[in-house]
Amino acid sequence: MNKLIINSSKKLLSSSLNKNILKSQTALLSNVVPDNRIEVFVDDKPVLVQPGVTVLQACAEAGVEIPRFCYHERLAIAGNCRMCLVEIERTPKPVASCAMPVMKGMKIKTDSPVTRKAREGVMEFMLVNHPLDCPVCDQGGECDLQDQAMAFGSDRSRFTDNLFSGKRATEDKNLGPLVKTSMNRCIHCTRCVRFASEVAGVDDLGTTGRGNDMQIGTYVEKLLASEVSGNVIDLCPVGALTSKPYAFTARPWELRKISSIDVLDALGSNIVVQHRAGDVMRILPRLNEDINEEWLDDKARFSYDGLRRQRLVTPMVRGHDGLLKPCEWDDAFYAIADKLSRASGSQIAALAGGLADAESLVALKDLMNRLGSENVFVEESFPGQASGTDLRSNYVANSGITNLEQADLVLLVGTNPRYEAPLYNTRIRKSLVHNELKVALIGSQVNLSYEYDYLGDSAQILEDLLNGKHEYSKFLAKAKKPLIVLGSAALQRKDGDALLNLATRLSEKLRTQNGCPNDWRVFNVLHRWASQVAALDIGYRSGIEQIKAQKPKILYLLGADEDLVSRVDGDDTFIIYQGHHGDRGAEIADVVLPGAAYTEKSATYVNTEGRAQQASFVVAPPGKAKEDWQILRALSDVLGNPLPYDDLDALRKRMGEVSPTLTSYDKIESASFLPLSVSLSQKVKPALSKEPIRAWQTELGDFYMTNPISRASLTMARCVQSFKKTNEPVKQTQANANP
Amino acid sequence: MTSIVQNFRNLALSIKQNGGLYRSILQLYRVDEIKEGEYIGTDRNGNRYYQNKRFFVGRSRWVIYNEKYGLDYDGTHVDPEWHGWLHYVRDDPPTVKPPITYKWVTPNPQENKTGTPDNYVPYSTVKPKIEAWVPKSNKK
Repeated sequence: MNKLIINSSKKLLSSSLNKNILKSQTALLSNVVPDNRIEVFVDDKPVLVQPGVTVLQACAEAGVEIPRFCYHERLAIAGNCRMCLVEIERTPKPVASCAMPVMKGMKIKTDSPVTRKAREGVMEFMLVNHPLDCPVCDQGGECDLQDQAMAFGSDRSRFTDNLFSGKRATEDKNLGPLVKTSMNRCIHCTRCVRFASEVAGVDDLGTTGRGNDMQIGTYVEKLLASEVSGNVIDLCPVGALTSKPYAFTARPWELRKISSIDVLDALGSNIVVQHRAGDVMRILPRLNEDINEEWLDDKARFSYDGLRRQRLVTPMVRGHDGLLKPCEWDDAFYAIADKLSRASGSQIAALAGGLADAESLVALKDLMNRLGSENVFVEESFPGQASGTDLRSNYVANSGITNLEQADLVLLVGTNPRYEAPLYNTRIRKSLVHNELKVALIGSQVNLSYEYDYLGDSAQILEDLLNGKHEYSKFLAKAKKPLIVLGSAALQRKDGDALLNLATRLSEKLRTQNGCPNDWRVFNVLHRWASQVAALDIGYRSGIEQIKAQKPKILYLLGADEDLVSRVDGDDTFIIYQGHHGDRGAEIADVVLPGAAYTEKSATYVNTEGRAQQASFVVAPPGKAKEDWQILRALSDVLGNPLPYDDLDALRKRMGEVSPTLTSYDKIESASFLPLSVSLSQKVKPALSKEPIRAWQTELGDFYMTNPISRASLTMARCVQSFKKTNEPVKQTQANANP
Repeated sequence: MTSIVQNFRNLALSIKQNGGLYRSILQLYRVDEIKEGEYIGTDRNGNRYYQNKRFFVGRSRWVIYNEKYGLDYDGTHVDPEWHGWLHYVRDDPPTVKPPITYKWVTPNPQENKTGTPDNYVPYSTVKPKIEAWVPKSNKK
């Protein structure tokens, strides 16, 4: 029944599902087509609106907000909460404005006695079955039902069942370690159901029963197995779905909210970090249409408790007994200076990890250069045989994230965007659902939450596609706006050079031969780490092999925790680790310098599309820890070779000198050197490996713990555990079925 | 009913008992009064206990603290054995009727350490906000 409503309304109003698509369409259309807007009257005020928009949207255009629970502009229209009833002249009954298309000359009355009475009636029915537990409800203070009951509800109660003979009672559902349910509070808006099936692409949630007996749930008890499940908490207008880790820890009015960005994947989703008395209490998404819309993935949302565990709070130096001992900053710096004074420039190397900010990357590179070393490397390698990291268009997602919505074919190579960049994947899915996008994948056959054409996992396919030998080439040739998304994980292979080479050439071929629009860019690299693009912009190279071969006397790890370099017994490399978590890097270090995590410093990160954004200082770094660039500046002072910047402004100026893209915040500097890169790459003929291309992460359990912060997080550990638990019996039955 | 003569006799007696005029003034300075009474005994801390039933109950038994305490004498310097007698819990002092020593009775009672570096500080039951990292190699 519900599904029916959704489907029918989808057909009715498919064009109005997303306001932004609508806006961009109108912007495009208005140049060509004459103004075909129609006039409606909202409270006798004339408004011009596009035909096909809903009454609710027309009212919003007129500046009148209609109360609503089930309507959400990014979800299909359900029309089942009835809160948005308005009176329209010459209609016998009030109509649900969210599902009613406007008609010419319609006279909408949003504040008439009939409308008010309708709203009060609906509110009264909702409250009859809604528990009065606001004082112990986590939604209290940010509850739509609370707010709208105050604004639009009746001013007195006719509720007489004070002896509690029977409010509707529903069993709570167990949706896993992230989403807490309190189903008595549910008002059946079905936003969560629609989100799960439309945006997240998992049909885990649904409704059973009807009328008073309707229930939202997972039918059988199971985990809400989605990497974006936390969004149902934000969507829920009441306290039925709340955050489990945040339960009973804080009230919204106690929290200070600071806008920042997320660094746990390479998208740089915009977030609001909410803290109380120096404790990060929760992280919520912040609206940014260009990146994350209003969603946030679970790792970014829930791994904040990792910021409190396994922290480096004091400098440490390894003593003669081989144990790391806490010490003062001076002692650590003098220990480093002592070693550095006995090493020449070429014997020093630096390795930057995936969470390093651009400020400390610039400071580290400057420091290394002053010491006479050019050995500055990143953990995540990037091929450098042809033009490699010299040309920016080789290593960013050139077309940006928003252009996924205009593309008609996306070819994913060696990536599983569902777990590497969940919100990139939801964009693809959105485009697939609304714009009939085609998706093809080379790599592991994973569940992307939508249907796609699987081409295989051999690297040879890419070459066949380039030569037009593959049977899928005809689809590629037909695409007017194709996109090629090359996963950064695939570039870690030995034949990364070849893959990059082929992918850029294929992209350029499609762009020139398919008649794409002039500003259309085909080639994209989807990175896994927040620091990668900035590091490549600054001039870091991939050099794990070089470090392993050369065995530098001194190795400076800037948050390098991926276990790519290891300490061998008898190895006389002096390892300095600077970072915020005690993880794999700190374990092998001789000197540990405590830095700041992304919520503790004002820092620049460049996302995979090349957009520089600033993370904000929210809480102070714990203990003796300092902001990372300050540590490097102080160290340079001890070495008698001070870096020429004393504050953040001077450092940002220096960053601008290194690469102007680092300080042009929230802008994408379009890089159009792909033709050049292709002409350079044609000279090189790197060999393809026979090894199949595999995805970095294939299942949800892999998604949660990928970096020092999420590895320290108990919530993430619980997620992995519950994922394993729910998947165990499945495996057993499979084993039984196939003896 | 006491006469003025009686009062003077008592004063003279207490001055005599306290060891002359000079020591009486010292005693007056230290404990704010001089009293005459029957010496009952000395505890292990060297405090001396007196009794004079001429005073009403509550003032008729008292302790003169060991001079080693100076002006820093404290109620907890009274030996637990004598505490009962001093506070009229027992009729007989421990010199007459030794108290029963149970197993759980500590052999060396401690004075109150409040205000000294040795004072008792309860441990915190609040979890630290930040859990610091302890190197794995250190744990071995």
